[in-house]
Amino acid sequence: MNSSSKFPPIKCRRCLYTTDHPLGLTIDEEGVCSGCRIHEEKDSLDWGKRWELLKELVAPYKVLSGRTYDCIVPVSGANDSYYVVHIVKKCLGLNPLLVTYNKYFNTPLGVRNLANLRIKFDCDILYQNINPVSVKKITRTTLRELGNIYWHCLAGQTAFPVQTSVRYKIPLIIWGAHQGIEQVGMFSHEHAVEMSRRYRKNHDLIGLEADDLLSIFDTLNEDDIWQYRYPDDATLKMVEVRGIYLGNYVRWDPKMQHEKMMKLYNYLGANLDRTFDSYDYVDCFNYMGIHDYTKLIKHGYSKVTDHACREIRHGRISREEGFSLVNHFESKPVPFIDQFCQWLEISPRSLAFILNQHGANNRASVGYDGNYEYSQQKRRAPTKLLDPSEILSKLAFESATSWELKAGDQYITFGKGWSKNDRTLC
Amino acid sequence: MNRKIVGVVDYGLGNHASVRDTFKSLDYRCIISSDPEFLSGCDLILLPGVGAFPAAMSAMRDRGLISFLCTQARSGQPIVGLCLGMQLLAESSLEHGLTEGLGLIPGQVIPLEPDHWHIGWNTIEVINQDKLLLPSHGESVYFNHSYVFAAPEEYQIATAQLKESFPVAVRLGNIVGLQFHPEKSQLTGRAILKNLVDGLTDA
Amino acid sequence: MLKKRLIGVVTVRQGLAVQSFGYSRYLPLGSPELVIENLDRWGADEILVQCIDRSVQKLGPDFSLLKRVGDLGLSTPLIYGGGIRHTDDAVKVISLGADRILIDSILWDSQPMIEAISRELGVQAVIANMPVHIKLGQIYWRNYRSSEEVLLNINTAQQLPIEWISEILLTDWRHEGFSKGFDRRIPLVFPIIKNPFILFGGLSEYDQYTDVLSIPNVVGVGIGNFLSYKEHAIQNIKDKITAISLRTAHYTAE
Repeated sequence: MNSSSKFPPIKCRRCLYTTDHPLGLTIDEEGVCSGCRIHEEKDSLDWGKRWELLKELVAPYKVLSGRTYDCIVPVSGANDSYYVVHIVKKCLGLNPLLVTYNKYFNTPLGVRNLANLRIKFDCDILYQNINPVSVKKITRTTLRELGNIYWHCLAGQTAFPVQTSVRYKIPLIIWGAHQGIEQVGMFSHEHAVEMSRRYRKNHDLIGLEADDLLSIFDTLNEDDIWQYRYPDDATLKMVEVRGIYLGNYVRWDPKMQHEKMMKLYNYLGANLDRTFDSYDYVDCFNYMGIHDYTKLIKHGYSKVTDHACREIRHGRISREEGFSLVNHFESKPVPFIDQFCQWLEISPRSLAFILNQHGANNRASVGYDGNYEYSQQKRRAPTKLLDPSEILSKLAFESATSWELKAGDQYITFGKGWSKNDRTLC
Repeated sequence: MNRKIVGVVDYGLGNHASVRDTFKSLDYRCIISSDPEFLSGCDLILLPGVGAFPAAMSAMRDRGLISFLCTQARSGQPIVGLCLGMQLLAESSLEHGLTEGLGLIPGQVIPLEPDHWHIGWNTIEVINQDKLLLPSHGESVYFNHSYVFAAPEEYQIATAQLKESFPVAVRLGNIVGLQFHPEKSQLTGRAILKNLVDGLTDA
Repeated sequence: MLKKRLIGVVTVRQGLAVQSFGYSRYLPLGSPELVIENLDRWGADEILVQCIDRSVQKLGPDFSLLKRVGDLGLSTPLIYGGGIRHTDDAVKVISLGADRILIDSILWDSQPMIEAISRELGVQAVIANMPVHIKLGQIYWRNYRSSEEVLLNINTAQQLPIEWISEILLTDWRHEGFSKGFDRRIPLVFPIIKNPFILFGGLSEYDQYTDVLSIPNVVGVGIGNFLSYKEHAIQNIKDKITAISLRTAHYTAE
């Protein structure tokens, strides 16, 4: 939901974002965006002091009896899960219950990473699998009405930990980064912002909670959506549920963190088609595929821009290098369309039709044969485009090439293990 | 089982979404209309109100609603007036000069003295043992007015207090007026509306 | 007994709900309707939405935002401020669902207009926003569009049309957004005493709320940024403050 679309977008001088950013972005008098300004805190705050604050914060939650868990940690097969568990278990000495939501689009590497996570850290873990009929009904609805395939994943990933907190009476939930802070500087690290239903509805769920889907779209029933409900205020209060973000207390740097986790615990990454970052989102067939494409056609930029802005802010690449990388990756072909269509039980022609409807300002032009063209006028480069391969060598993201996805690969269904030889989709 | 129907009188002033949504959350059907035929078929008529007394009376006159409401009141159809809607039930008002009201409950609307205005959440004292409001005795509801309906005591069912006490709810048979905004009084207001609708429509 | 009020302030700039710091630096928050809806669910005593760029841009009130907010069917009273120029604007704002209006620019530009608006809507519906700060013991009233400042004393204050407004929102604009920043001398030094005050700007701590709400002429506090950092921010304040008469906290059960 872009509230500021009436006003012409203004670009940040430092990174690649504009005020059109869907989370909201402000630009100050010097032409620097709120995300870059808050990022400056990463180099000016006393992180030693903030670490002490974190220790004080979690201390009362340590359970002395050993018969329950100190906290809940939401995890997946990617996205800094290892780092969060490392901080929670090894550095803070807490005993976490890990929780994960099955997004269905699981890659073999994602399944492997998650299994490796719980084994290496010796943690208990709860999996939530919502029945495929409901998940597909919801996804068909959100795709058709909103041009979005990821609603069920985000709704599940943000509801399940809170539901578990309530059911098991474990009040503290520990998350890693706060996306609003990391991308657009929505809060200062010093605000120590905590998990809220408002943020989830506004930014994770694009303005629509489970009950909104139910009341707005007549294709869905109570049976399909009740599992995605956030617990009500009275329930949250009874358990004193509280969600905190490690990114407010630890200097957050995903590239550096993933590389540390690869060394310590053998986390593995793999090259992806549409971005240079081989550590994030390797657990999903679609996040950097069809979902990334819907982001591009609806908002005019895709995930590689988020990755480039992050690396520009961390001083590893210049703005021009970031732009060159974005230009290189943004229009790469969208992989695994066939698998997605088979799973969702729609035809590629229907998918193309729906995507064309949602591409604002003719950004998308999707051919029936799956030839996805991004036809928006190319942004003017700040200087001439640089050679991406040189920039990639400089960044040196690592990849476990044997785990890179191939065209015919299939989603891994939980319960069938993650043996590389067993790829049958049930 | 048939749901009760509340008819909200639309005379061209104000936004009815809050009152409509409150009724829907209570599982009543809610119609917003200026058509006397529709409204006469409802279980209860709700008369909302925003702005000044003379403008509201004039807007209702233009739509032929004054004689309609008087006829419905005589027939016994329940009518509830909210805020300015309560004041419109009176014989007259001194706001902006003297204006005639619907005359469904005796009394005149006069400036609130000595306080000039009544803004915010205040407790209501239910008087005359009125069953409709008794469950909410001592609860806080939201007020936003500078005139008050000075009805004779026998028609008052609740008062509130600033420097002095004054009537904030009136009743004559099936005609009820509430000076506060139950639709803007969160759960307390919702409970009052439910008791009112049920109490006035259950035979 | 009349309760004191916790008023959730939603600052909107270019259609985006923002956190404001001294009205010069802004961080994004998101959709105004969703921030407002959240305050409604939390049980704020009133919600104040201020669209701070409307007068500067000469745009008039943000009617389309008001329509969207009005359609939410809130069960909490709503105050709207931003770009109200004349009686027609004021009437339309109320008809779209606001319960009261906040005026600022008109106080500088056209004071006779305030009487007209007040006669139309009722004085209870008209609140004056006065950005102020204290310099060398004196209180100055700021025109946020021009940055011009006027010294307020008994004489200059008498020229304000106070009989046509009910409450005054005293905004400590310097400290707005800054934790513990509110200058508590403001309500004590402000030369008008006939109108009740709502205080706003840098009120972040429980002891501050208890302190300023104890002042008899203060009827409520506006809280902006500080409601965005924790879940149940409004309820937490109500639970913690026992010395002041506030409505009890409510935790919605669905």
